[in-house]
Amino acid sequence: MTTMSREQQVSAVFVQVADSLIDDFDLIEFLQQLCGHCVMLLDVSAAGILLADERDILQTVAASDETTEMLELFALQHDQGPCLECYSSGRARTNIDLGNSAAVSAWPAFAAQARRSGLHTSHVFPLRLRDRAVGALNLFHHGSQSLTSQDASLAQALADVATIALLQQRDIGREQQEKAQLQYALTSRITIEQAKGILAERWNSTPDTAFRALRSYARTHQLRVSDCARGIIDQTLDTDDIPHP
Amino acid sequence: MLSAEMTEILRLLHGESGALPDCCAAVLGVDHVVVSLAVDGQITEQLWSSGATGSSFEDLQFTLGEGPGLDVLRTGRMILEHDMSKVAADRWPALLPAMAHLPIAALFCLPLALGGITLGVLTALRSTARPMTGQEMDDVLALVGGLTLHFLAADEDRVDAWVAVSAPLNRGLHREVVHQATGMLSVQLGVSLARALLTLRAYTYSHGRSIIDVAQDIVSRRLRLDEDDSDPDPDPPEETRG
Repeated sequence: MTTMSREQQVSAVFVQVADSLIDDFDLIEFLQQLCGHCVMLLDVSAAGILLADERDILQTVAASDETTEMLELFALQHDQGPCLECYSSGRARTNIDLGNSAAVSAWPAFAAQARRSGLHTSHVFPLRLRDRAVGALNLFHHGSQSLTSQDASLAQALADVATIALLQQRDIGREQQEKAQLQYALTSRITIEQAKGILAERWNSTPDTAFRALRSYARTHQLRVSDCARGIIDQTLDTDDIPHP
Repeated sequence: MLSAEMTEILRLLHGESGALPDCCAAVLGVDHVVVSLAVDGQITEQLWSSGATGSSFEDLQFTLGEGPGLDVLRTGRMILEHDMSKVAADRWPALLPAMAHLPIAALFCLPLALGGITLGVLTALRSTARPMTGQEMDDVLALVGGLTLHFLAADEDRVDAWVAVSAPLNRGLHREVVHQATGMLSVQLGVSLARALLTLRAYTYSHGRSIIDVAQDIVSRRLRLDEDDSDPDPDPPEETRG
């Protein structure tokens, strides 16, 4: 991948994206890969995708880096932070300096957690649906790099891909279907967290390690991560079958 | 965003629920709302019903052992059939002919679930075919969310009281670490996820701590709870009340 030009990398990603958007694809896995693509193509340190639930509360659905520390940073944005602002306004914002006084006073808990994680710059792009946002794509840099306008267009395109994946549109009952699909993404996330806990306890590992093993098992067997998580919970999947660290 | 009517219904969930099924049906633009609890993927108890059609439909599913409610319990995914005339005959081969006499042209079945914890199913029925609007979807999702939290605590009076005073109800439940800790606890104690979450909440209450802090301590193995911890302290610290 490193020998490809940037244009080649971008095309390769979009081809892969199009190939993945078939019937019955694994939504959470797809969004996680998309976060990984953001990190590679945009040269950022971390990326996450947040979705609003029916109460307009933002929830994390995928992240490039699923450590507890990063998830915490996304979770804090249910009541403050650039994602909440982007979700409300529907507008992208780039090159947000998380150390400056405006950011610190607007989002004290979020800015403090970001600094603890060594993150200095953030960018945020709306997941756009018609005239509003249904969530946000959040990018972070360890340093104070900035995104060029070309990078920003690419980031918005990747955010749009996330929205397309989330909302496989149908003509009839479009809104009903859209809300059901968003809800399914949020529920899947909670199921996966519960399964991470179960595996972590069985294996005496961290939830992060447990998740990596679960994800690789799902990939090997071409199963959805969320289905595997559900199988673990209702005991139709024997956790001894999953190779663990 | 929730409608004002559904916000009021959610507030009332913790009191007498006599007229609520009818109010919900009106807000959701349907004729009937039925709520049933489940154990091990089987419908066990009909808690709410706003009319004979709803009860008959639920009884048919129970008797025949098939139907959208049972599918929802098995998969955890909602089923929205807003035009029953479009449903293939082999989808529910026994149920469809048996329900033909009931005035049901649209059917919406949603799990009462928190991730992999499934407590029951809400069924909304309408005699006319049309999808739910965006507003009706927001309201029904909030309703199943509210009912789920309500029933999660329903078998423990004291925990129920705690849930009622701690607004917002879903405090902490948007945090990954709480769900991870629930999974770990369920293995440690050999109990269901629902039971593990109750134990976690009860411990949090009796120790006057935040559920996120307690969950972080469990995940990082600084704290291990016993089954006894599911009993909240009879005399909780004053500052955690109200």
